[in-house]
Amino acid sequence: MTRPSEVKPREGEQTAALFADWKIGSEFPELTFTITPDIVNEYMSVVNANPENYLVDGRQASPPNVVAVYMMAVMYRKYPPQQGGIMIGNTFSFHHPVWADETTEITGSGRLTDKYEKKGRKYICYTVEFHRTDGVKLTTIQHTSAFPE
Amino acid sequence: MIEKTVPQTQEMFNNYGHLNGDNDILHYDDAFAQKNGFRGTLGHGLMYTAYVADLAAKKYGRDWHYCGELTVKFVAPVCPGDLLRVTLADNGKAECSSQFGTTLVGSAVLR
Repeated sequence: MTRPSEVKPREGEQTAALFADWKIGSEFPELTFTITPDIVNEYMSVVNANPENYLVDGRQASPPNVVAVYMMAVMYRKYPPQQGGIMIGNTFSFHHPVWADETTEITGSGRLTDKYEKKGRKYICYTVEFHRTDGVKLTTIQHTSAFPE
Repeated sequence: MIEKTVPQTQEMFNNYGHLNGDNDILHYDDAFAQKNGFRGTLGHGLMYTAYVADLAAKKYGRDWHYCGELTVKFVAPVCPGDLLRVTLADNGKAECSSQFGTTLVGSAVLR
């Protein structure tokens, strides 16, 4: 089991990357982790998810967005986070269930797709893709955040 | 349209942050958040994304896992004490709103 907190660089614990440091097109190192039934249960609890909404052909699946708790870890391992970041938006594309009754080994990878300044705010955009380690594509997330520096 | 209402508490912010490892003090330090112009600590955007996704999973069932497309934009903060109403319209338009106004807009559709 990989808790997101075990692999996500935490705000304030490392020297943070600044806007000038982020380079469009830069790739994030792959992050491999395991999602267990315990993680799925905890995720469903903290996001008020109803398990009945995630039955697929009679089998219990996780919310496919469970990988969201690992998203920032993928980027922050390349660019350690600042305090004061604000999430602007996300687009998720789901491709295959994450089953709730088994351990799933997943690799997250991604890259910085854009950065820009607008009205005094500094924006970064990145994409993260999650695949099972057997190659099955699970979820793609396109993300935008704003940071103070 | 389907909907659900989720009252927001600091404990919920803490529990989500405990799982995802988010240590941004905007989520936990009320004084810091107010100093930066907010009503209070901020809820996690990905938590609200999941609220919308839960309604979408209910609406679309199996297909949601194979060809779901969820887009959200956060337009205003959510703070402890907010009564958050999450809606998903028949056409896939999604929204979260509290007693202070709209906090999230977006869509949940099938590709």
